[in-house]
Amino acid sequence: MVIDPYTLIAAVTVGGVLVGGGVHFIPVGGAPAAIATATGVGTGTAMLAAGSGMTGLITAAALTGQAPWLILASGAVGSMLMICITMLVGNLVYVFGVGCVPVSAKVDTDPITKLPQEKFVTPGTEGHGLPTVCYVSGTIGGALGGIGGGLVYWALYGALANPIFTLANRTDLSAAMVAGIFALSVFFVNAVIASYNIGGTIEGFHDPKFKRIPRGIVACLIASLVAGIFSLFLLPGFLGGI
Amino acid sequence: MSVAAGGPGGVAISPAKILGLGLLGLILIYTTPFLGPVFGPLLAAIGAVLAIIWGADTIRRVASYGLGTGVPSIGYMSLAIAIVGSIAGIAGASVLKLDPLLGPIFGFILAVVLGAIVAVLCKTLLKMKIPILIRGTAELSGAAALSVIGFSAAIAGTFSFAPIIVGGTLYLGIEQAVISTGFIALLFILNTMAIQHPFNACLGPDEDQVRTLKLSVATGFIAMAIVGLLSVYTSKAWWLVTLIGAIAWFIAIREFIDASKESAASVKWTGLWPKHEEE
Repeated sequence: MVIDPYTLIAAVTVGGVLVGGGVHFIPVGGAPAAIATATGVGTGTAMLAAGSGMTGLITAAALTGQAPWLILASGAVGSMLMICITMLVGNLVYVFGVGCVPVSAKVDTDPITKLPQEKFVTPGTEGHGLPTVCYVSGTIGGALGGIGGGLVYWALYGALANPIFTLANRTDLSAAMVAGIFALSVFFVNAVIASYNIGGTIEGFHDPKFKRIPRGIVACLIASLVAGIFSLFLLPGFLGGI
Repeated sequence: MSVAAGGPGGVAISPAKILGLGLLGLILIYTTPFLGPVFGPLLAAIGAVLAIIWGADTIRRVASYGLGTGVPSIGYMSLAIAIVGSIAGIAGASVLKLDPLLGPIFGFILAVVLGAIVAVLCKTLLKMKIPILIRGTAELSGAAALSVIGFSAAIAGTFSFAPIIVGGTLYLGIEQAVISTGFIALLFILNTMAIQHPFNACLGPDEDQVRTLKLSVATGFIAMAIVGLLSVYTSKAWWLVTLIGAIAWFIAIREFIDASKESAASVKWTGLWPKHEEE
């Protein structure tokens, strides 16, 4: 399958926007959450992006050569699994290790379970652990990020792979690696831009900071568009080359 | 990052001198194809270490204003930009059938441009309040790109994207030696750590530029030693790169520990925890 340059730019742009949008859903707690004084996973966006993004790319790359929707679905499942495992183990540590209740300080009742939140928040903190709404939000974010990363990988692999390999139903290793590292880089750039937009920490789609998502998406769109144009330099045969 | 939100502390070495050091790194990387299979990779690796020092100093200047996301995030972002730029640049020089020698400078420029665009977006759209954000991110992306290109050239022995034969010796291109082997993913994390760790470890009220830079020299050279090990199959100079990297790391980390002890009020070895709880 050969991807034409315009599809490639479009796929890198849309993929980058999906990653940047997905990060807004992930409950990033940062340093306060690491000492259980804020809701979310106790680390920064870059670490969560590294974990779930790389897993998503590996699962997406495992289906190289299959139909595009399978690659995207596989990427989404990989990212979702990784972020869910991270959140689950985080919750185990918060509940059984630290001994606090998963609770959000940003809403009075959990929008999904309708459980009261306010009276369980320790005074002086911003909540603890990952309540249901954060968990669901994080799963959605993982899915969007995985689809975005998978889309960039699929388009670049399709554009770069040598037709001899694809006709023989084999994987062109060097095209897969170039596409993989490029997709990972696009993933990281957008994840960090999104994390600058949310100022480091967010609880999920119920957090007031989530309203900043349009700005973040526009920034990710422009940055990914430039990265997409740069990806044209990788294509033999384009720009009057080989 | 509230401890370090007021801009950089005292500056003993001016940004211009550090910038010069980084550009010296670019020149060293450029000598690679002319010095043969032993000294070429060595100078490429040393050039990458100089770029890492440049990057670490730039991160010190930018992150000292407080990014809100921690120091590592901008490190990861700069390396991601660097990899997009340097792969596009090096591959672009091959795809456009230009001289492979144009690859590194092309990659460097693409990374600086992408870094500047991202910084402009952060400043205008996302309203980040860091005065030196645009210059800092552009410099940081360029330094990160040089570190990736330098280490890649040290592994492959060439800037060419595709394999080439020079004087009867087959040089695997960057694509075969660095990307297909997956080393590029390792360089991503390795260089991120080397660039962001010094300031991330040293930041605080009594942060000192010279001490931070001593740590960046140590992280840069230990990355160089690892790059030497990666190039066992592709480079005749792998042992030299590893050996010089390891010796230089040892000297730098000793200097750093001495500097830390000197600035400390007192240093005590706490010993192991007592067998019985003391009353």
